[in-house]
Amino acid sequence: MSFVIEARGLGKQYGRRWALRDCTLALPAGRVVGLVGPNGAGKTTLLHLTVGLLAPTSGSIRVLGTPPAEGPEQLGRVGFVAQDTPVYARLSVAQHLRMGAWLNPSWDRQIAESRIEKLDLDPRQRAGTLSGGQRAQLALTLAIAKRPECLILDEPVASLDPLARREFLRSLMEVVAAQGMSVVLSSHLIADLERVCDYLVVLAGSRVQVAGEVSELLASHHRLSGARRDASSLPASQEVIEESHTDKQSTFLVRTSDPVHDPAWTVRPVTLDDLVIAYMSRPAACERAHQPQLKVMS
Amino acid sequence: MIRFTWLQFRVQARVAVAALLAFAVVLMVTGPHLAGMYAGSGITACHGGACEAAAGRFLSRLAITGPYPIVYELGIGLILAVPAIVGIFWGAPLIARELENRTFALAWTQSITRTRWILVKLALTGLAAVAVTETLSLIYSWWAEPISKAISLQGPYPVASEFGGGRLSLVIFASHGITPLGYAAFGFALGTATGALIRRPVPAMAVTLAIFAAAQIAMPLRIRPHLIPPARTIASGPSFVQSAGVNLGNLTATVVPGQPGAWIISSGAINAAGQPVTTVPAPCIPPPPAKPPDPGHCMDSRGIREAITYQPASRYWPFQWIETGIFLALALVLAAFCFWRLGRRRT
Amino acid sequence: MIEFQLDTTSGVATYLQLVQQVHQALQLGLLEPGDRLPTAQQVVAQLAINPNTVLKAYRDLERQGLVRARPGQGTFITRSLPRTDPAVQSRFLGSMTDWLRSARAAGLGPDDVEAIYRTAFRSCFAEGVA
Repeated sequence: MSFVIEARGLGKQYGRRWALRDCTLALPAGRVVGLVGPNGAGKTTLLHLTVGLLAPTSGSIRVLGTPPAEGPEQLGRVGFVAQDTPVYARLSVAQHLRMGAWLNPSWDRQIAESRIEKLDLDPRQRAGTLSGGQRAQLALTLAIAKRPECLILDEPVASLDPLARREFLRSLMEVVAAQGMSVVLSSHLIADLERVCDYLVVLAGSRVQVAGEVSELLASHHRLSGARRDASSLPASQEVIEESHTDKQSTFLVRTSDPVHDPAWTVRPVTLDDLVIAYMSRPAACERAHQPQLKVMS
Repeated sequence: MIRFTWLQFRVQARVAVAALLAFAVVLMVTGPHLAGMYAGSGITACHGGACEAAAGRFLSRLAITGPYPIVYELGIGLILAVPAIVGIFWGAPLIARELENRTFALAWTQSITRTRWILVKLALTGLAAVAVTETLSLIYSWWAEPISKAISLQGPYPVASEFGGGRLSLVIFASHGITPLGYAAFGFALGTATGALIRRPVPAMAVTLAIFAAAQIAMPLRIRPHLIPPARTIASGPSFVQSAGVNLGNLTATVVPGQPGAWIISSGAINAAGQPVTTVPAPCIPPPPAKPPDPGHCMDSRGIREAITYQPASRYWPFQWIETGIFLALALVLAAFCFWRLGRRRT
Repeated sequence: MIEFQLDTTSGVATYLQLVQQVHQALQLGLLEPGDRLPTAQQVVAQLAINPNTVLKAYRDLERQGLVRARPGQGTFITRSLPRTDPAVQSRFLGSMTDWLRSARAAGLGPDDVEAIYRTAFRSCFAEGVA
């Protein structure tokens, strides 16, 4: 299996603060990877490290087998759409496409122009006067027309209205279906990710909390409800992700590869929503319990 | 990348060309008449001492004729200002605007390395800045050639203050020869470096202006005088009078005897023991209606002489090369700073 | 041609919903052997979902023997759903009824039975387990 992104102990420090720490990932190629986490968790930092806009303070990262932004060829294989989709406000849509053609040897004019036409964008319109959704579509066109093997998007739909958001994701999925590239997409909106992602990475507290195939994660996490008991009384094969107690009842969200047969439990499946929120709350919960935080590797 | 740099630079280039053309029109309109006046002044056919008189007549006529003094000074002003202007309006926003608008996230993820991006932008825009300055300098010196020739033929005492000053004087030196190129390169590189450091175009423009102005003031007042160790001389007797306006009670030298066009850095009267003398002794300039004695002998008999520190006019070109070299070197250092500052650790 | 729907609130995985909708269409007679299923691109254009999900659903259907993918042409229905033998069904209904009776006699209530059933169901029909 080939990996689109491999990170080992990756970290980025600004002064005293670690924006990202101990990040170890192996994202398989050919997937749509969702990167979820609260604001300030390090999503943008990780993605900027991926495309070479930042250099690591510790650890290493390889994208498509080479360090990021190592040379023009590597840059040509990775497409990037930055947060808030920056464009040159004074240049027109057509001038942006010309920029793409000049700066990318692998630029496919056909793809770029047919997309602009299909999206009903006026080539002569200045990019600064486009709506948020149109700008996002322009940025996506610029990223994919050079036929990259891998596409990285930093919260591309965060500031879009629901219709523009759906249109963008639809457009993105059509491109994936047509060109078959790997995608890494960050967002703090879980609902969007459920439709499009088949691999999930949860970042919280500047660390990776969990990473794995969505189907595997959903199958291996369960919510157990039963009589009040301590987390340590659970078998070692069941890793407790989240726990809550009343005086008579305990509920645990556990991760386990074995089926749960204990009749004392009511076992319910976990939605992706619940799973992500549980992992996102983990750093705060661990701090409260003063426990060393265990990192989950898939 | 070259074509894209041009795409982003188009508007600024057009403004510069328009301004150059406007000034060129002014020069072309006034040039022929100036040349005519020069041809009719008799300077071309003069010999020896008559040249000084002819030049004096030409220049004093010019000083009161219509637009010529204005155009002359405007040209000098423009050549002095252009390096600052390109630094502020071309240099400061070059990198800072991309950082402020975050379009670097778009630019640095195309199939072009960051190094090449900076290199092409800096090189092309910098070359344009130097080219604009050089063009301005060339068309102006073509127009002002008659005036420059006449000035060089003048005696030690300029007849018209508008056209005064030898080649080494403060304003003339910075606007003639090759120094404008050095200033243009420095101004531009300074702008880009402050832009890379401050990351916002408007504050970078302000800081560039401040630093550039400080450099342009510090250089002639503090640094240039010492780039080559200055020469010293003592003037006594009649040459004392020639150099300083003793008759008027003035002890500061305005002319170096035997060194026409020299740049006087400092001067002062000293007595026989080498101590400074600040006032002319009363007997040498008695109040009217008493008849003043010969001031030269008067000072000499008291052992008072004028000590002058100066740079001779013959050092004009060495100064030009040294100063241009200094500013070009500074420009290269600032450009290297841009590369370093934008390295990937620092975004 | 069948048009897929997506229910995001049901908690059922997307690819399973696609598989189930093909099953339902076959049972209702809306799909017959020889019909072509929409391409991954067409499904994606309509639902804005991951194309891998569509491919996974189609692979599952192919494993079940219901469809076949012809390269360059599309994915086609090969046969209709097997109807389970009514005799087999009534046999299992009988054994289930007997089991329920003895559980009730042993004192288990409806909720106990439900819990036991769900545990057994999950471990038996969980993905990848025969």
